[in-house]
Formats: sequence, C-alpha cells, structure tokens
Amino acid sequence: MPDASDIVFRARGLTKVYRNGALEVHALRGIDFQARKGEFIVILGPSGSGKSTFLNIVGGLDRASGGEVWFEEHQLTALGEGQLTQYRRDHVGFVFQFYNLVPSLTARENVQLVTEIARRPMRAEDALALVGLQDRANHFPAQLSGGEQQRVAIARAIAKNPEVLLCDEPTGALDSATGIKVLEALTQVNRAVGATTLVITHNAAIRDIADRVIRFADGRIVEETVNAVKKQPSEVAW
Amino acid sequence: MVIPPLRRKVLRDLTRLWAQVLAIALVLAAGVATLILGNGAYSSLYETRARYYEENRFADVFADVTRAPRALLGEVAAIEGVLDAEARIVKLGLLDIPGMVEPGSVLFVSLPETGGFNRLYLRLGRLPDAMSAEEIVVSDGFAKAHGLGPGDRLPVLMNGQRRDLRITGVALSPEFIYALGPGQMMPDPRRFGVVWAPRAALEAAYDLEGAFSNLVLKLAPGANPDRVIEALDRLTERYGGVGAKGRADQISHAFLDAELKQLWAMVRVLPPIFLLVAAMLVNMTLSRLITLEREQIGLLKAIGYTSRAVAQHYVEFVLLIAVVGIGLGFAAGAWLGVGLAQMYARFFSFPYLVFTRDPQLYGLAAVITLAAAVAGALYAVRSVVKLPPAVAMAPPSPAVYRERGAWIRRVLNLRQTGVMVARHLMRWPFRTLSSTLGVAMSVAILVASLWSFGSIDRMIDITFFRSERHDAQIVFGTPEPMPAVFAARTLPGVMVAEPFRQVAATISHRGHEKTLAIMGRPADPRLSRVLDPTLRPMPMPEAGVILSEALAEALQVRPGDLVTVAVQEGRRPIVTLPVSGLSVGYVGLGAAMEIGALNRLMGEGAMVSGVSLQLDPMQTAAFYAAAKTTPKTELISVTSLMLSRFRDTLAENITVMVSVYVILAGIIAVGVVYNFSRIALSEQGRELASLRVLGFTNREVSGVLFGELGTVVFLAQPLGWVIGYGIASAMAAAFSSDLYRVPFVVQRDVYAIASLVVCAAALVSAWAIRGRIDNLDMIEVLKTRE
Repeated sequence: MPDASDIVFRARGLTKVYRNGALEVHALRGIDFQARKGEFIVILGPSGSGKSTFLNIVGGLDRASGGEVWFEEHQLTALGEGQLTQYRRDHVGFVFQFYNLVPSLTARENVQLVTEIARRPMRAEDALALVGLQDRANHFPAQLSGGEQQRVAIARAIAKNPEVLLCDEPTGALDSATGIKVLEALTQVNRAVGATTLVITHNAAIRDIADRVIRFADGRIVEETVNAVKKQPSEVAW
Repeated sequence: MVIPPLRRKVLRDLTRLWAQVLAIALVLAAGVATLILGNGAYSSLYETRARYYEENRFADVFADVTRAPRALLGEVAAIEGVLDAEARIVKLGLLDIPGMVEPGSVLFVSLPETGGFNRLYLRLGRLPDAMSAEEIVVSDGFAKAHGLGPGDRLPVLMNGQRRDLRITGVALSPEFIYALGPGQMMPDPRRFGVVWAPRAALEAAYDLEGAFSNLVLKLAPGANPDRVIEALDRLTERYGGVGAKGRADQISHAFLDAELKQLWAMVRVLPPIFLLVAAMLVNMTLSRLITLEREQIGLLKAIGYTSRAVAQHYVEFVLLIAVVGIGLGFAAGAWLGVGLAQMYARFFSFPYLVFTRDPQLYGLAAVITLAAAVAGALYAVRSVVKLPPAVAMAPPSPAVYRERGAWIRRVLNLRQTGVMVARHLMRWPFRTLSSTLGVAMSVAILVASLWSFGSIDRMIDITFFRSERHDAQIVFGTPEPMPAVFAARTLPGVMVAEPFRQVAATISHRGHEKTLAIMGRPADPRLSRVLDPTLRPMPMPEAGVILSEALAEALQVRPGDLVTVAVQEGRRPIVTLPVSGLSVGYVGLGAAMEIGALNRLMGEGAMVSGVSLQLDPMQTAAFYAAAKTTPKTELISVTSLMLSRFRDTLAENITVMVSVYVILAGIIAVGVVYNFSRIALSEQGRELASLRVLGFTNREVSGVLFGELGTVVFLAQPLGWVIGYGIASAMAAAFSSDLYRVPFVVQRDVYAIASLVVCAAALVSAWAIRGRIDNLDMIEVLKTRE
C-alpha cells in the first residue's frame, strides 16, 4: 500500500457519457485509479475504450459526468473552467500525437511560450537539452523532422517542471526508430523531473518500459500489471 | 429538378459561411448603392433640369439695365446669334405682411409674354389678367412658407408705396429653381419670394412706361454666348447695363451646376473604394476556403471533374455573393434615391423630378460589381486550376516562417504570443496590407465626410463673426448722397452706422476677367471688414484694390500686380489699379476699396449704396418697421436671420450625409475586420486551442487574435488619415466655385472621431468573434492532424 502523501491522482467511480441527440455513448463506466508520484504508467486499449477520455479528464481538458478525480488535494471534478485552466497551466504537461507546436515559433520559442507563464520553469535551453535538441533551438517546426518536433513538444511539456506529464499516442505518428528516441526522451525526463507520467498508446510493445500498465476496454479498466523490471526504450521493438 | 452536387455544395457553403458572405455582400452593396444613387441622382437632376428648361424655354443670356426704351429690343434681337429677345421688368420690393416682424423681400418679375421665355409652371389657380393692376402669381416655395394661395392678399411695398396685391395663382419658374434672395446665403422661402405681375402694373409702379429693366435672350444653336454678351453690353451700356450674364453665371443655374459637380465627384470616389475593398475581401476569403478544401479539390479532380469545372464551382460561389450584394445594393440605392430626391425637393423648386430608373444603370452597376467580385476571385481560383490532384490530396506543406523583424521584438519587448502575432502578420504580407488598406479606407471615408462640419464652423466664424459683424444692412434702390447715412443713424435701435458703396465692375488681368461688385468701405471699417489670411482686419488702401483669394486665383494675380478695372455703371471709367492685398472670404468673389477712392473713381460725389448697422437688440422690431418704410430702402438684410437659416439648412443636410457616410464606413470596417478575424481564426484555430490546452486563459488566447486585429486597425489609422485628407482636399477643390469656396480645414477632432468610429466597428466585429474563441474545441484539435 503506497504512502497516502505519495498519491498524485485518485479517481473513484469516474463516468463519462456523451450525448449525441437521443444517443448516449458511455465512454467511461466507473473508473477507479491511483497514481504515485514519479510513476511511469502506460495505458493500453483499443480505439474507443475510453483511455483518451480518461486522460482528458485527468488533464483538466474535459469534465466527468459522475464520480470524482483528485489531483493531490484538489478535487478536479469540482473545479470551474478558469480553475481547470490554472491547473493545466501550473501542474500539467501535455504531449500529443500531432505535436501541436506553434508553426510560427522556433523550437526555443515554443518552449518559452510555456516558461513565460509558468511559476517555476526551467530554462528553455535546459529543457531542449533534456531531449537532445539544444542544437536545433532556432529551427522552426517546419524545419524539423517528426521525431524532433515531438521532442520539442516534450521539452515544452516538461519545461514548466510539471507534477504530471500526460502523453496521448506520442509515438503514433512516428516510425519505430524515431519512436524509440521519443520514448527515451520521455523516460529520461520522467527520471530527471520526477513527474508522474501517463502514456496512452496502441502499441503493446511499449508496455515494458513502464512501472505499471493499465488496460482499458469498453470504458473500464480491465487489467493492471506492475512491471518488476523496466526495460530501456532501446530494448523494446515493434 | 436535380441539383448537381457541386451546385448544392455552393449553396451549403453560402449558408455555412453566411456571416462572412453577408459582410462581403454588404460592402459590395454599398458600392452598388452609391453607384446607383450617385449616377441616378446625377442623371435625375440633369434630366429634370434639361426637360424643365426645354419645356419652359429657359433663356440663355440675362441682362439688367436701369431703364432702357422698348425700342432697344429690336436692336438686341438683331445681334448675330440671338434667336429671340424679351424685355422684362424685374424689380425688388419689400414684404409688408402684418405680424411678420423680420424684413423680407420679393422680386417682381413681369409675366412672360405669349411665346416668351422662362415660362411659368402654374401649380395652382390662374395667371393674372394682363390689364389688372393688382393680380399676381407667387412662387410656390414662398406661398407654402406663408400658407398663401389663390384669392389671398399679399401686402408689399413697391417702390416705397404700400400695395395690397391679390394672388390668382401659385407657380414655378426655371429661372428660380434655386431661389436665392439678394444678400442671402441660403434659400429662405419665408423671407424671399418671386412675384409675377402683368407688365403694365409693374411699368406703372416703377415708372417704367415704355421701358424695361431686364432682358432675356435665347441664342441660336451654335451661337457664341461670349460674343453675344459683348455686343449686348455695348448696346445696354448707355442704359445702365451692368454686364450681361450667361447661364453659367445665373444664380439658380450655377447652384444646380455646383450640386451636379458634387454628385459627380461622389460617383467617382465612393463606388471604386467599395468595389476595391470587396474584391480584396473576396480574394482573402476564397483563398482561405480553397486552402481548407484542398483535399476535396484533389478528390474532385481525381474522380474526374475537370479543373475548369472545379474552378467554376468557386467562381459560382463568388458570383452568388455578388448577386446578394447587388440585390441589397439595388434596394438600398433605390431607397436612398427617394431620400435624396426629397432633399432636392426641399432645396430646389422643380415642378416634377424625372427619377430615372434606367435599367441600363442598374445593369451596368451589376456588371461592374460582378466583375469586381470575379477579379477578386481570379487569383485564388487560379491556384485551384494549377493544383495537381495527387498533390492536393496530400496535406499542404506546413507554412514556412522565417525569423524576421527581430528588432520589432526587442523594441516592443514581445512575449512569445506577441511574436506569434508579428510573424503571422508578416507571413501573409499581402493580406495584412490589403486588410490595413481596407480599414484605412473606412477611416478615410469618415475623414472625408466629417471635415465639412469644421469647415462650415470656420466659414461661419469668419464670415459672420469676424468679417461681416453688422446686425443688419440696408441697401438703397439707387446710390444716395452721404447724408442718407445720417438718416439711417437716426432710425430706432441703430447704434452704429457705417456706409458702403457697391459698384459693378469687370476686373481683368492678362486675358482673365470677372464681373462682380466692388465694395467701398471706410478706411478703417468696424462693422463690415475684410480679413487678411491670418484673419487680421485689413485697412482699406488709399489707392489700390483688395481682392479675395478666390478672385486673385481666378485672375492669376498676386499682390503688387496691376489689374484693369472697367466700371459697369455711371460714366463707366476704366482704370488700372494695383492689387494691394488679398483677403479671405468664402462667399462669392470679392473686391474692396476705400469708399472715398471708389467715389473719386466714379466721379459722382460722395455716394453710398447702403449702410451696415449695429442694432440695439431690444429695439430690432422697431427698427425693422421703420427701415421698411424708408422710401430709399430696397433691401434689408439681417445677419442673425441669415446665419440661423444657413446653420439650419446645412446642419440638416450634413447630418443626413454624415450619417450615411458613417454607415458606409462602418460597413467597410466591419466587413474587413470580421473577415480578417474569421480567416485568422480559421488558420490559427489549432494553435489557439493548443494554447488553451497548455494552460493559457481564454483572455490570453483571444489576445493573440485581437493582437493581430489591433495591429491592422492601428496601422490603418494614420494611413486612413492621410488618404482621407487627400480625398477631402480634392473634394474641397471640386466643390469650390465662383459662388462659394469651401475652407479646407481638417481639425484634429475629425481624425479622432473617424478613428473612434472605426475602432468601435472593429470592436463589434471582435466581439462577434470572441464567442468562437471561447468555444474552441481543445480535444478535437489534439486528435486531428492539420
């Protein structure tokens, strides 16, 4: 049983229902979940299993229909729009499948975009160095490869020293070799920053690099495994 | 009926993008409306005047004499180029209506002979009996202002004699379409009317039996009016002729001409602005639509639609926008046209208004508008044709940015969001510039219309408060010896009396000449003064003549030059005088001399034409009553009445015009800003949603978009001021004529108000966009590739 002060996320009975006209889609059907500080969790599951919905609610991008989620001592499910924005700003780093960099800003400027509004940021150069891109700082996204763009996105996500790092299919648009580089960057910053990291993926091979693996199906957590031994990203193959 | 799928897509796109479509259509509509309104009003006014002149045989040449024998008429008619001539009696009289305190005058005109000129258009009643001594017809505006009609009585002073005339009819005449009384600046139908009476009655009243005081001539087609006028002047010289006038110098005709000139200026300036801005908006919007639909275009081509068919699809989209604009413009143009016609009806006395709903004009407006819209679409559509299907189906290569303008960032100490704004604006310089120009145009339209308020204030200030400071002027029928001034001084309520002498003369210099009245004033006038360009009162020179700037310009003279002054009355001396200074003045052409010098020139002794008076405000009614019955009095003009009439009339018209301009400028500002923001939002929606995910607040995210908008609106202001100043100065030049000049002053508040109005319109557009920013879908943007 982990120490209670060590728990970053707690979710209980979390449900999410999308209404589309008369049609009701149950995306989440009662999720119970906890994550410890610094834990690296991989979330697996088929499309439509609810994993992205879960990540969005935990990240303060979406609202639950029922149940509750706590981040440290904040009950996210009770926060208003403005407070959720503040939560994302202060505590959460996001990495997405399509990088979502600002095309008109260079790599460094994309990172500075976040450090300018963060409470205790690291230097943009340091964040880029963490992902091995210190030499590409002055390049615009259009001048970077997909893998490089994703690493800039990771640098941007961790530059604020977030408590949590949420990644939705970070390697989804990348080939295997590039994907491994991105995963290395993720595990590297997970160790260096100590941020609780949740990574959604379709790719079961990635499971071996996690502390814990959660499998979603039909809006529920159907399986949870703890890896006694974590592999290095370079050791996995897909 | 089966609608082809592409056509159905056009209709759906129009509905989906309705707000942008409407914004563009409104700008097009403004272009169409101003085109129709301006051209329609122009041809309406032009045609009406032409038909009225034709049907009522408006004369070509007009001449006043003191008294000439009727026998002279044969000689006049024999002048080469003269088709026919008619002798008339035209004399001023004073109104003597009980209960009407303020002085008013009437112009007596002998009834046109059978087959004569300037025939009346009888609106009510009948013409007077030719043998009657008391039957008259009065002008329509005057009758309405006093509630008079056939059967009513009109008490007047004719040649100092009180008479009670009987109205038999109410009429209009092509000679008095713009019925400006002597000494008036604006038509005032209450204080000035035209009275047509049988010749015999006027002959008797003004001691003109067997004689006449006015000639009107009709010229043969192709005759040279200048040559006829010259010959006529030679004939009338002996009889006190003061120089004949062609139509161009006939007051009513000249004012109509000035109005036509203004309309023409409006037609040339406004519609092109709207059409240009609309073409630009079409280009902006369509380019974005095509970028968004790139994959669909590729797909259409891949499944076998020709480039031409796809291009045609987008052209149809634009044509439909234009059709909406044209429809709105037709309606607005027709509606405004009615309003303008009503305004004309107040100003000009026409028996009818030929309101042309010329289908050709509407057709032309439609074609021009469609052409402008298609021209705007061409560049964007060309990219559709050039796009190979395989390339189109792949996502577009990402926008390439360059690190430019680092200095801007340093100078403004920009944050990253500021850098985004700057780079995005610089990434599409054409769009940024054309949007800036569009907003600038709306500022310019406002500057070019609002300046007239300040201009009129200045005109009023200089004319009524600095230069003509008298409360009233009495004009005598014929020049009187100096003691008449003392008589005037003794009238009740008169505090100060200052004489003036008015002499008709032709001033010429190197082939340029103008006929006008030279005003003689005391050496150091107190009431009726002339001002130098720095607005200091000028003393009257002992020798020499002071010309108004307008006159100096017309004659192309500078101070120190010599001009030839040919006096047109008395013994008609011709002298050469130095121009001793230039004066400012906005009404008519002016020349001034010291009254003693002018009298010496005339050689008739110390004579005065009238007196300028300062009155005791408590005794004005008593003054009016007494002045009216003084036999020498031909005309009493009252400054305060003239000023209030001037203000009321102008205020009314300018308020109408300015409201129209504010609406037009608002349409441009809203159209440009709204489309610009929608496109910027569409391009950057993904980035902005990403910013929201990263923890930026709604306010911060809106700030990025509004930063772009704000920059465009901000840059547009000085540009708009400059363009507006240019248009305003061209308008001032176009509106200036011998009748009046428009002082060209653009005060600072004009720029401020123009900018405020445009910024308010921009804010409205921004407000309309704000909701879309607040509702950006953060989750959607994470799941999709651009």
